[in-house]
Amino acid sequence: MGQENLSFVLEKTGVVKFEDRPVPKLASDYDVLVNVKFTGICGSDVHYWQHGAIGSFIVKAPMVLGHESSGIITAVGDKVSTVKVGDRVAMEPGIPCRRCIRCKDGKYNLCVDMRFAATPPIDGTLAKYYTLPEDFCYKLPESVSLEEGALMEPLAVGVHITRQANIQPGQSVVVFGSGPVGLLCCAVAKAYGANKIVAVDINKERLDFAKSYAATDIVVSQRESAADSAARIIKDCDLGHGADVAIDASGAEPCIQAGIHVLRTGGTYVQAGMGKSDITFPIGAMGAKELNVKGSFRYSSGDYRTSVDLVTSGRVSVKELISNKVKFLDAETAFNDVKAAKGIKVLIEGVEDSA
Amino acid sequence: MAEKNPSFVLEKAGSVYYEDRPVPELKSPYDVLINVKFTGICGSDVHYWVDGAIGSFVVKQPMVLGHESSGIVHSVGSSVTSLKPGDRVAMEPGVPCRRCVRCKEGKYNLCAHMAFAATPPYDGTLAKYYSLPEDFCYKLPEHLSLEEGALVEPLSVGVHIVKQAAVRPGDSVIVFGAGPVGLLCCAVAKAFGASKIVTVDINEERMAFAQKYAATHAFRSQRESAADSGARLIRDCDLGLGADVIIDASGAEICIQTAIHALRVGGTYVQGGMGKNEITFPIMAMCTKELNVKGSFRYSSGDYQLAVDLLASGRISVKELITGKVSFKEAEKAFTDVKAGKGIKMLIEGVED
Repeated sequence: MGQENLSFVLEKTGVVKFEDRPVPKLASDYDVLVNVKFTGICGSDVHYWQHGAIGSFIVKAPMVLGHESSGIITAVGDKVSTVKVGDRVAMEPGIPCRRCIRCKDGKYNLCVDMRFAATPPIDGTLAKYYTLPEDFCYKLPESVSLEEGALMEPLAVGVHITRQANIQPGQSVVVFGSGPVGLLCCAVAKAYGANKIVAVDINKERLDFAKSYAATDIVVSQRESAADSAARIIKDCDLGHGADVAIDASGAEPCIQAGIHVLRTGGTYVQAGMGKSDITFPIGAMGAKELNVKGSFRYSSGDYRTSVDLVTSGRVSVKELISNKVKFLDAETAFNDVKAAKGIKVLIEGVEDSA
Repeated sequence: MAEKNPSFVLEKAGSVYYEDRPVPELKSPYDVLINVKFTGICGSDVHYWVDGAIGSFVVKQPMVLGHESSGIVHSVGSSVTSLKPGDRVAMEPGVPCRRCVRCKEGKYNLCAHMAFAATPPYDGTLAKYYSLPEDFCYKLPEHLSLEEGALVEPLSVGVHIVKQAAVRPGDSVIVFGAGPVGLLCCAVAKAFGASKIVTVDINEERMAFAQKYAATHAFRSQRESAADSGARLIRDCDLGLGADVIIDASGAEICIQTAIHALRVGGTYVQGGMGKNEITFPIMAMCTKELNVKGSFRYSSGDYQLAVDLLASGRISVKELITGKVSFKEAEKAFTDVKAGKGIKMLIEGVED
């Protein structure tokens, strides 16, 4: 019996399996069917695999994993006009309701009824096929590979963070954490004109990569108070009265604290990384320095389009972040590698067309 | 010999005295000399009096107290064009450098060289005379009293906080803390069109006053987790998916935590109150709800003028916040009363001629 839509499923915490599932039907005339070609893995995928939950999102039934994908369109609904069969696309995996106040206000990432791939109970993209509305598929130009297309999702996260931070040309930015999101934030900040981009991490190897990739300065975290850490970053990187922008892509408490202290008065801090729910936070400094502090959650209107444009124009390069590619049937190996923090981005190839 | 410029001075923590000091000279042709008529007291004044310091600002030598004042222009510099002797003014007590990046960017409250009255080492306004640049004096219309003029400073703090919060018509706003700043935030939020204004405090009397004054709802704090408190706030005050804006004017950790939980996704939080420097903060809720969280520090371009306009047009009233007036010689009593939490705003009259 031929397999129709082989899928990589999280059965329950710690247990994954391959399962053949029905090919999804187009739910609307505006939908398309995508043959998924590459899928990257992110910390949240690993977290669901290991813990079966993130916050109030709990895996209660087997769920297909994956959300950072690219693919080729194999079928289109009757009203589809912007893409056609054969088009290579980056896939934006979260579909908002389009009707609630957040959607209409232009912040669809905050939609109350958001259906996001691989966030329970919505199935993810690690399958042969996936359906999406046409406006959530972004055509890749010839010059951009499908592998790079799978990096559009984390890049869009970086774009959203950078836009929340409102980075202006000439500004200085400190990014805590040099994992994929931190690295992409450095790259986008550079594309947005920041002239000083400081990468901070505990891992020297990652920092050396950050320096070769997009950072202008690197700082290795040390065992010291947050205030001392910030003072050291300011001094070593010539940040004057403090950085204009601080982005946390680590979720780590000492980084968050240092992020507040490293800013100049009136600066902007964006929380992107996820870690402990409740931390000790220097609110006195935030108040007296009149900082702008923002959360950043996934991506919203225009972010994916900007990501594709940044890569197409060469202002951001993502190729160097792809450290490995594995076959679909080796998906679990990829998850293990990411869990062990091997490499930067591991891609899982799509299901092979075979008998 | 008649005293020239009697002043109320903080010698060091806990010790105040009266001293006759020289009448200030006009340092610039754009400066004016003001005969101070009323001065209100704020928590920070009391804090310097009790502790001798706030954060890195330490009283290292005797300093005149007071910064919330109004007065009558006594004399003007040669380049002054907008004021004349006899004009009644509200006094904006912090003079920025006008040259640094922050000043030129429109955020003079963040000026690195800010000279703020009664923040060491700068002397305050509790004296017979005080000098200021003309653009930091705001003429009071005839129908506003000098007493009300002394409330313009805390009202400007409220204006700045509400502007940081970007309150818009129809917004739901929660204000933690019903002290003077909290009350004024409620009033400004109302003037900015908020349709629901919830006051939260542990003090029943203050909340009852807040409801009469400007709030539409009152919420009684209970001993419960911040998340539970946030959920209960939303339920009891019909806040739908959460409040649009929350202002903290308490500085209390539990209020700050509750606020993050009581906001809707995409909502805005402004930290106005000052308390512990480091608190336990629900940062992941802030992150995933994509909240805008802002500090608020004093006031900046346009805030004082707006405060005067709000009073002049009757959209905000401050008379009811003035609960006591003492003569200049009884200044220490006023400080003691404020420290004991008595009343809302105590005013100290100017030096008698």
